[in-house]
Amino acid sequence: MERDKSLSYERKYTNGEITVYWKQDACIHASYCYRELIEVFDPGRRPWVDMKGAPVERIIETVNLCPTEALTWKWNDDEKNNSVQPDQTNHIKFRRPELMKQDPANMKENPVSVKVMVDGPIVVKGSFTLDNSGRKKEIIESLISICRCGASNHQPFCDGQHRKIGFTG
Amino acid sequence: MEEKRENRTEALIEVIEAGPLKITGNFIFKDLKKGEETSSGEIWLCRCGKSANKPYCDGAHNK
Repeated sequence: MERDKSLSYERKYTNGEITVYWKQDACIHASYCYRELIEVFDPGRRPWVDMKGAPVERIIETVNLCPTEALTWKWNDDEKNNSVQPDQTNHIKFRRPELMKQDPANMKENPVSVKVMVDGPIVVKGSFTLDNSGRKKEIIESLISICRCGASNHQPFCDGQHRKIGFTG
Repeated sequence: MEEKRENRTEALIEVIEAGPLKITGNFIFKDLKKGEETSSGEIWLCRCGKSANKPYCDGAHNK
């Protein structure tokens, strides 16, 4: 059987009520999670996710802020998963259809959004042309994260260094 | 990433070598720290971390 590469770096965390999935290679270091809820999501701690750090509702709210599918969640009670609404943006039903045995359709075209994260990178989301020092690439309904602190080892993209060097701006 | 010509958008994101990030065309720009929001036009964003006018470039990378 073919191995599903999209699941290769996945970790799961649960508190009995919900399960949070962490897919490291999808993270663009937008940093919403630890800014919002350091009690649960602390990149300096191992394991970095502590499901006992906050009430379920707060964890769900915070996971829903993740602009990628690096963080997703589901109810452990499958009945509840069936009635989840689209405003629960990072529920696996909407972000990780491969985990829901569902049709991966429902991808809608979004306008290009450019967000400057607090003390973090520039996150560009949507469909656009990326000209990386002369090398052009069409980005279709995806997102990239551009370093703003100057310290990334993966220029021009963010690799999370801003947190280590204490970048502000 | 597949190429879909019919959906080609008008936003252009340019990484200027040893310089800023230039954004032109149709986009919605938001600075989450200042809460400012602009749409479309042309903006130059600092990539070196040294600008005194962040998030915008002020040419500090050349100094």
